[in-house]
Amino acid sequence: MSITLDIKYAARLLYKKPIFTALTVFIVAIGLGLTLYTYSLLSNLVFKPLLLNKDTPIISIEAEFNHSHLSRRSVDAFDFLTIRNEMDSIDEFGVYEEGIALVGKSQQNSGTRKYNSVRVEWNVFDFSGVKPIMGRALKAEDHFDGAEPVVVLGYDIWQHYFLAQDDIVDSIILVNAIATRVVGIMPAGFSFPTVAQLWKPIEQNMLTPTERSRSWLFAYARLKKDQSFNIFKQELSALNKRIANNIPDNMRWRINEKGGYLRAVPYKIANITHYYSLFITMAVVVVLILLLACINVGNLLLARVNERFKEVAIRVALGVPRKRLILQMLLESIFICTVGGFLAVLFAGWGLELSNTVFEQMYRVTENKPFWWQVSLDTDAIILLILSVIAMIAITGFIPAWRALSGDFNAVLRDGTRGSQGKKFARASQLLVISEILLSCVVLVIATILLSSSYFAGQADYGVETNNRITATIELPEGSYPIRQEEEFELADTLKRTAFYYDLKDTLEQMPNIEGVAFMSHFPGTGAGASFFEIEGRVAAVYNENPYSNNEVVSRDAWSAIGMRVIQGRDFNQSDISAEIDTIIINESIANDFFPDGDAVGQRVRRAFRNGDREGGWQTIVGVVSDTYHGSAMRTSSEQYSSYFMLDNIGYSWIDIAIHYNGSQALAEKSLQQAINQVNSNATAYHMQSYDELISQPMILVSAISKVFLLCGVIAIFLAASGIYAVAANSISQRTQEIGVRRALGASDSIIMQLFMRKAVWQLLIGLSIGITLSLWVVNRMTDTMVINQGSYMVGLIVIPLLIIIMVLVATYVPTRKIVLMEPSDALHHD
Amino acid sequence: MKSNNNSNNTTDISNAEKATQVLVKLHDIKKIFYTDDVETHALNNINLTINKGEYLSITGPSGCGKSTLLSLLGLLDTSSSGSYTLAGHNVSDLNRDERAAIRNKEIGFIFQAFNLISDLTVAENVELPLTYRSDINTKQRAAMVNTALAKVDMLHRAHHFPSQLSGGQQQRVAVARAISAKPSIILADEPTGNLDSKNAQIVMALLDQLHQEGATICMVTHDPRSAARAERMIEVFDGKIVADQLTETPTAIAV
Repeated sequence: MSITLDIKYAARLLYKKPIFTALTVFIVAIGLGLTLYTYSLLSNLVFKPLLLNKDTPIISIEAEFNHSHLSRRSVDAFDFLTIRNEMDSIDEFGVYEEGIALVGKSQQNSGTRKYNSVRVEWNVFDFSGVKPIMGRALKAEDHFDGAEPVVVLGYDIWQHYFLAQDDIVDSIILVNAIATRVVGIMPAGFSFPTVAQLWKPIEQNMLTPTERSRSWLFAYARLKKDQSFNIFKQELSALNKRIANNIPDNMRWRINEKGGYLRAVPYKIANITHYYSLFITMAVVVVLILLLACINVGNLLLARVNERFKEVAIRVALGVPRKRLILQMLLESIFICTVGGFLAVLFAGWGLELSNTVFEQMYRVTENKPFWWQVSLDTDAIILLILSVIAMIAITGFIPAWRALSGDFNAVLRDGTRGSQGKKFARASQLLVISEILLSCVVLVIATILLSSSYFAGQADYGVETNNRITATIELPEGSYPIRQEEEFELADTLKRTAFYYDLKDTLEQMPNIEGVAFMSHFPGTGAGASFFEIEGRVAAVYNENPYSNNEVVSRDAWSAIGMRVIQGRDFNQSDISAEIDTIIINESIANDFFPDGDAVGQRVRRAFRNGDREGGWQTIVGVVSDTYHGSAMRTSSEQYSSYFMLDNIGYSWIDIAIHYNGSQALAEKSLQQAINQVNSNATAYHMQSYDELISQPMILVSAISKVFLLCGVIAIFLAASGIYAVAANSISQRTQEIGVRRALGASDSIIMQLFMRKAVWQLLIGLSIGITLSLWVVNRMTDTMVINQGSYMVGLIVIPLLIIIMVLVATYVPTRKIVLMEPSDALHHD
Repeated sequence: MKSNNNSNNTTDISNAEKATQVLVKLHDIKKIFYTDDVETHALNNINLTINKGEYLSITGPSGCGKSTLLSLLGLLDTSSSGSYTLAGHNVSDLNRDERAAIRNKEIGFIFQAFNLISDLTVAENVELPLTYRSDINTKQRAAMVNTALAKVDMLHRAHHFPSQLSGGQQQRVAVARAISAKPSIILADEPTGNLDSKNAQIVMALLDQLHQEGATICMVTHDPRSAARAERMIEVFDGKIVADQLTETPTAIAV
C-alpha cells in the first residue's frame, strides 16, 4: 500500500513537470536507442560468430590483410594443403576462390549475364549444413581432371534467369562460354562463402597441389570442439614461420614486410577487416553517448532532488526508512528509463531498417553484400536493452538518492533553506561538468573528423570528368577468349581479346549518342594497385627507396573520353604493339617531380619489387598525361603518381569501360548492351553505373557510418549543451546563498562572474585536454581504415573545442548572471 | 526609559546637535513586493536616522518588515521609493557595483545562519571581504584577519573549516568577518537566533565590546533581552516604525 502511494506520488510529480519528464525520457530513449542499434549492427555484422546450423563458429584462414590496399589477401593452395595435412585441431576445412561467371543459356547468342561465382571444394554444402532443394550437391569426383563441368545454381539465378525452369537440373548451360551441367539448385538466401550465386567445383590440383603457384585461395574452417581458437592461432603462427623460412624467392611476395602470411580470423571479422576499427570507434562513441545520457538524466534528477530537498528533509524528520527513501528516489528513474527503453526499441528498429536500405544501396551494383548483412533486433539485443535499462536506473537513480541521503536535513529544517553546498557535492558537480566536457569533446571531435574527412573525400578532385559518363566492367567468356600458354599463340590470343575491346569501342563511337570510349583497369577514383618504380640512372640502393606509383592498364585513345589530356609526348599507338621497346605513359606529377626539365619523354623506368623481381624490364616513357587520383579518397594507398601500360599488350579477360555520352544515361547503357550484342553477345557488361556512383561506391559504408556519427554528433551536441547547462546551472544554483553572502560582503558583479568563469575555464582545461588526447588516440586507430585529411583535424580540433568552450562559458555565464542579478537579500534567503 | 512614539515616525534623537554625527538617514522609504499582481507593502514611509556609534535594535513580530528594513540598510535590496543617505552620501540611486563597494567598505554583516562559506577556512572567510578591495595588500590583509580573529578569540582556529566549528564559534568567525574591514556600521540579523544561550551571551558580549570601542551596530532581533542590550530600540509593525525609544540602561544578558 505504502509503495503504491510512493508510485502514485512519483507519477504525480512527473505529470506535474511534463517538459522535464519528456526531456529525460527522450534523452534515455536516444542513449538506449543508439546503444541497441549499435549493438545489433555490430553483433550481426562483426561479433556474433557465424555458425550456420552448427554449434562451432566458422573461421577464415587467409593471408594477412593488406592495409596498404585495404584488401584481403589469398593463400597459396600449396600452403592450404600443408594446413589440411598437418593441423589436427581443424575439424572441417575447405578452400574456395570467389569471382564472377558469365552465365548463358545453351542456345547460341542467347546473351549472358554476370553472376557471382565461387570455385569451391565439394564439402561446402555439408560444411554449411544446407542441402540443395533440387538435384545434388557437389561431389569429390567433380574435382577430378576430365570430369564433366558441373555447376550448382543459386535460387535467384534459377528463378530469374532460367525462369524457374522445371527441368533445369541435368540441363546444360553456358558458364563462361563452357557447356556445364546443372546438378543442383540451392535454397533461397544461401550464398556461402559470402556472395556466391553459383558454385563450381575447384580443380583437383588446387586441392592437392604438388608445387607452389600464384593461386588465389581462401579457406573456411571449423575447429574441433575442444580446440581453443587462440591455441590454433599460435599453431598457425608457428607454421607461418616455417613457411616464411622456406618459401622460394619468387614466391616471397606472399609474405608481408613484417614476415606475416597466414592468419585465422573469425569469419565475419575477416570480411570487414578494413572497417573493423571504424565499427569499434562507433561502439566507443555510442558507449560514450550512453554515459553522457546517463550523466544528463542523473543530473536532471539530481536537480529535482535539490528542488525537493525540503520535502525529503520533512520525510526524514517523519522517520522515512532509508530503503524507502532510496526507492522513492529510484521510482522516477524506473519510470523514465522504462518508457525510454520502449522508445529505444522503436528508434533502434528504425535505424536498423535504414541500415538495411544502406547495405542494399551499397551493393546494388556489385551484388556483393555478404549474406549475413541483414540486421535486426534479436533476443540478445532485447536482453542487452533490459540490462541497460536496469544499469541506467541504477546510475541515474543512484546520484539523486545519494544526494537525498547525504544532506544536512537538520539545517534544512532549521533554516528553511537548503543549507550550504557540501564539499563532496561541490566536487561531484565539478566532476559532472568535467565528464560532460570530456565525453562531448571525444564524441564530437571523432564525429567531426570522420564527417569532414568523408565530406572532403566526396569533394575530392579526381582529375577526370564524371558528368555524362557511365562506367561498367566488360567480361569476356574465357572459353571463347582463352590465352594459350604456348608462346606462339599467346600474342594472337591476347590480340584477339583486345580486338574485342577495340571493336566495341568503334561500334560505340559510331553511335550518335556516344562521344568517346575509354578502357582502363581501374578508372581514377577507384583501383590503386601500386608498386615502386626505378628511374634509369637513378636507381635507389634499396627497392623501397624508389618512388611509388599506381599502375593502370589503358586502351589507346582513352584520355579524352574521361577528360584527361596528353601533356607531353604522345598517346599509345599501334606501333607500340609487340614492339621491341616496351612503352609507358606517366602522369604529370611524376614528370614534374622527377623530370623537372621537361625531358620525361624518352626516359626509361621499370617496376621494382621486394624480391628483386624487375617485372617487364625497362619501359620507355612515350607520353605524359594530366594528373588523376587513383583509388578512393578513403584509401591510404592512394598515390599522386600514376603509370599507364597499354592494354593491347596485356589482354585482360575483363576491363572497365567508361563511356562519354550525350542524351540520357539509360540510352547510353542501352547502347553499350547493343554494341556488345553486335560484337559478341557472349561478353557481358556488369556493374553498370554512372561515373559518380562508381566513385562513391567505396565510400558508401564510411559515409553511412559517418551519418551515424553525425547523428551521434547532433545528439552529443544536444546532450552536451543541455547537460553542461543543467549541471552548471544546478551547481551554480546550489551556491546561490554563497553568492548572496559574497555580494553582501561587497563582491561586485564582475568579481562573482570572474569567480565562476574562472572555475569554468579550469573545468574546460581539464575536460578538453583529456578529451582531445582521447579523441586523437581513437582517431589514430582509424587511420588504417580511411584517410583523415588535415582539414578534418583542423575542424575537429579547433572548431569543436571552440564550440564546447562557448557552450560551457554560456552555460556558466547565464545561470551565474541570473543569480548575480538577484538582490543579495533574495540570494541570501534563496530556497 | 525615554520613549518617542510620534505619528510620523520621526525620532527626536535626530536633532540638530547630532546632525554632524548622522551615519544613516532613511527618508520616506517604501518597499513593495509584487507577486502575481498582488502588491505587498513590506515597508511604508520609513524615516530613520542612525548616528555614528549608536547601538540600536529593531524588533517586531514575524513578517513585520524588520529584515527587509535591515536588507535596505545593508544595501542588499533597493527601496521602491524614498531616499537613503549613508555617511553623508546618497546611496539610493547607486548602481549594483557602487552598492557592492559601499557594502564592502562601510557595512559589516552578521547573519542568523552565520553564512560562512563552507569551502573556505576560517581565516579565508574573514579575509573574503578584504580580497574585494584593491587598496589593501596581502600583508595588510593578513594582519587585519589576525586582528579580527584575535578580537573574537578565534585565532587558534584560523585554519579550520566552518564545518569543524560549533555554532557559537561560527558566529564569532562571522563577527570577525563583519569587523575585519572596519566598517562604519555593523548590521546583525538575529545574530543569536541559531545559538544556545551560552554562545548567544558570548556573541552579544562581543557586540557590546564592539559598541564600546565605537562601532555602530544595528541589530534585528526577536529576543527582548538582546534588544535590551542596545541603547536604542525600534519597533516595526506592518511595515511601519511604531516605536523608537532609547533604553535607559542597556543590560547584560543573563546567562
